[in-house]
Amino acid sequence: MKKYLFWFAVVLMLVMPAVSGAAPLNQGQDYVVQADDWLSKLAEKFLGDPLAYPAITYYTNQKNAEDESYAKISNSDVIEVGWKIYIPTQEEAQAYFSGSVQKVGEGTIKIGALMPLSAPGSVSGGTAMKAAFEIALEEINAAGGVLGQPVELIMVDTEGLPERGTAAMQRLINQDGVVGVVGEYHSAVGLTAKEVAHDNHVPVIFAETWNDNITAVQYPEVFRIAPVSSEVAEVDANFLQSVGAKYVVIMTENTGYGIPAAEQTEARLAERGIESDTYFADLGTLDFAPVIERIKAGPKPDAIWVLLTGETSFNFEQQAAEAGIGPQNLLMICNQAAADSEAFWASVPDGNLCVWRRIGLPQQLWTDATKAFAAKYKEKTGKATPESFAMEAYDSLKLMAQAINEAGSTDPDAIINALENITYNGALGTITFPYGLKNPVPEDMDPKWWHQFPDPAITMVQYTEKGQDAADVTVVFPEKYKTGELIRP
Amino acid sequence: MSPYPNVILYEEQSNFMQASPLLQEFHPGPALLILAWVVVWGGIGGVVTPRIYRRRDLDASKATLYGTIAGAGLGPILLIILWTKTPELDWRWNVIPSLTALGLLYWAFATYHPANLCVTSGTYVISQVSNGILIGILYGVIAIGLTLIFSILGIVSFAHGQFYMLGGYAAFFTISQTMGAGLHPIIGLLMAGLITFVIGVVFEYTLLRPMHLGKVERPGEYAILLTFGLAFFLEYSALAILGANPRKVDPFFNLGNITIGAITLPPSRVIAAGIGLLILVILLWFLNYTWLGKALRAVSQDKQAAAVVGINPLNMNTLAFGLGAMLAGLSGAALVQVLAWVPNIGALASTRSFVVIVLGGMGSLPGAMIGGIVIGIVESLGVGCFPDVSRALAYQQVFGMIIFAVVLLLKPTGLFGREL
Repeated sequence: MKKYLFWFAVVLMLVMPAVSGAAPLNQGQDYVVQADDWLSKLAEKFLGDPLAYPAITYYTNQKNAEDESYAKISNSDVIEVGWKIYIPTQEEAQAYFSGSVQKVGEGTIKIGALMPLSAPGSVSGGTAMKAAFEIALEEINAAGGVLGQPVELIMVDTEGLPERGTAAMQRLINQDGVVGVVGEYHSAVGLTAKEVAHDNHVPVIFAETWNDNITAVQYPEVFRIAPVSSEVAEVDANFLQSVGAKYVVIMTENTGYGIPAAEQTEARLAERGIESDTYFADLGTLDFAPVIERIKAGPKPDAIWVLLTGETSFNFEQQAAEAGIGPQNLLMICNQAAADSEAFWASVPDGNLCVWRRIGLPQQLWTDATKAFAAKYKEKTGKATPESFAMEAYDSLKLMAQAINEAGSTDPDAIINALENITYNGALGTITFPYGLKNPVPEDMDPKWWHQFPDPAITMVQYTEKGQDAADVTVVFPEKYKTGELIRP
Repeated sequence: MSPYPNVILYEEQSNFMQASPLLQEFHPGPALLILAWVVVWGGIGGVVTPRIYRRRDLDASKATLYGTIAGAGLGPILLIILWTKTPELDWRWNVIPSLTALGLLYWAFATYHPANLCVTSGTYVISQVSNGILIGILYGVIAIGLTLIFSILGIVSFAHGQFYMLGGYAAFFTISQTMGAGLHPIIGLLMAGLITFVIGVVFEYTLLRPMHLGKVERPGEYAILLTFGLAFFLEYSALAILGANPRKVDPFFNLGNITIGAITLPPSRVIAAGIGLLILVILLWFLNYTWLGKALRAVSQDKQAAAVVGINPLNMNTLAFGLGAMLAGLSGAALVQVLAWVPNIGALASTRSFVVIVLGGMGSLPGAMIGGIVIGIVESLGVGCFPDVSRALAYQQVFGMIIFAVVLLLKPTGLFGREL
């Protein structure tokens, strides 16, 4: 083999001056292989660079997939006389080398997915998202993939850490060469990941990152189907007002989600004349006894609002219940991690009467797509109701696939354009992005509505008996979706 | 300013606690004066006293610590006595000045924030302290396992927190009615101890023993890498096999709420601390009244002398590692009724145990126990008394670290460390 390579190199060197005079082509053309041709010689002749031969291989194989009269080149060192090959244009060759054309693992479309699969991220959230991605991927590939090619999903663990978000995004874009990225649970990760997506001009659909700034910076590449933190805070505040609360304790986490969420909730409560105190804890805090003691010693709150996420919220809720300020003693709005009823009841056995916020359509308004997803999700995970972040993860991937199909190419601008015009029917309902490049956010509206799904249903629900499944909860707010009255402890 | 009017940047939120009904006035001026008195005289005592002792050719090893405490507690009065008479220092010289130093610090705090719950409510302080003691006992038991391994094998096990994690899972799967065998909690505890003991013994016998037989070129680094490897192996195996969903069991015994005077203690923690104390008593009995225990202590004091009187130090290494792992496992089993148990729960326990054993003195069993309780109380009081309620819990580990830094500054061998 070495010997051949050596001769190949020698011949290459001898021939180079002879062909270097040929003008590079501006138009792609078919070419029939002659005696003494080899690919780098043709690349030199037509594209002006002997090292450009992989582009010829790639485009010829692309043509071969559609039209069998083209040869299939499985080894760039071996071509036969009489083969019909395709010589790409300069632009096509450049597109190939700049990476804007899908090339890694030829024959598949690569999409990246972000989710937290290890601590301090929300592992239960990430695991649920992973299952949802797998369901979406199966469906997409069963329906023939994207642009006629199977989709390869590259899932990366972000650990809920901002710096890991940057690293994961860079790996997906630069190493794996994905055409788009979907997912993520933690805002802190979304905030850093969006910068990498913007710098590399790769479209991304965030699934469960609520921080306003993610869309408010108005990057062309960034879309979101999760609710916006400030809108959620609005619903929260309206709910507390409707129950007549006067003083509220907010227990939040020291993160890119928890800090602004607490701040927005406080501001909105203050607008409604409700006083509040915020307690911060690091994500991953295990022992809440000292702060629970402190809450008990202060003025008695009408409600405790838990903005901690994941397992951390379970530890707080159970320890508060054991200390006598749990959901059975006063109104407690538990974190939406409670949506995973199995994990919730395992960790918070005294969590009955917990009220929690649910994103996504209430069961009575489920679409066919929601029902189909819920059935598959139950089969895969055993959970009777998919959590909102599972539905969002599922929709984010299906949405990306539909956008690439509608764009007709993996070109980022075409995908962004397709997303701006999309009408997608999925588990969360009908998703559209009203504001973006084509239709800028009006002056009098908040910039957060950029590339933002405007209508994720936000409801407050309550567990009414110990061990209850998340599917059987009562919707207690708002009036529009209500299925029962709030049970006050 | 944020370029978007409705998007508030983190830096702009400094005032958003102002409406709080819990925030009251602060008086930093007089408090700083008291604090300055304590710090300045403590510093003078700590710097000058050892010099005077050295100049007079006396033992100056304790002079820094005693000088600092004397200066901080009683200022120039006691310092002048120390400097002129240069008495032989023993613990009696510490009692009164350390109490007055604590009193002065408390006075400074009370002046600074007179409305603080820690100043106005004795019951509150007591309940914070008792919470701290309850959790501190468990910190202590975990740390005793680590210090036992250190004193016999001379290595620090970085997999200690993972044995704690395993113990919790072993107990969960033995006790849980729904997911496990549904057996009695006591059997769960025994299972946790047994499983972690066996894993510890097997690991030591197969992988750490070559280090003591001279088959390894760099034993110190070898032990660090190996225990680190074990930590990752155990944690990620647990994640792969047991899954990431949190697990928890109901309190082992149904005690109802425990009320002592005005304070109420959560039953699960009381049970956990009770188990911790029981483990401690059994361990002390084992170390002091059984042949194996005495052999362990002998090896920790002098390996060669122990070998001369017929104790095989290699077997003692294996036993010590197994026991250390078991202590961590038992603590995990005791706490699986308090915390939501996840595979990565061991990481925090590991770091905290290191802090505790260094604070208490490497290799000292009473040091590890007292160190654990001190860290428990300090963290609890720190969170309970820190004037900014909203940030207090986020600083939880900082309070322990401050005490850690102060102790190491004054007594580098730790509270109960062997004198150098």
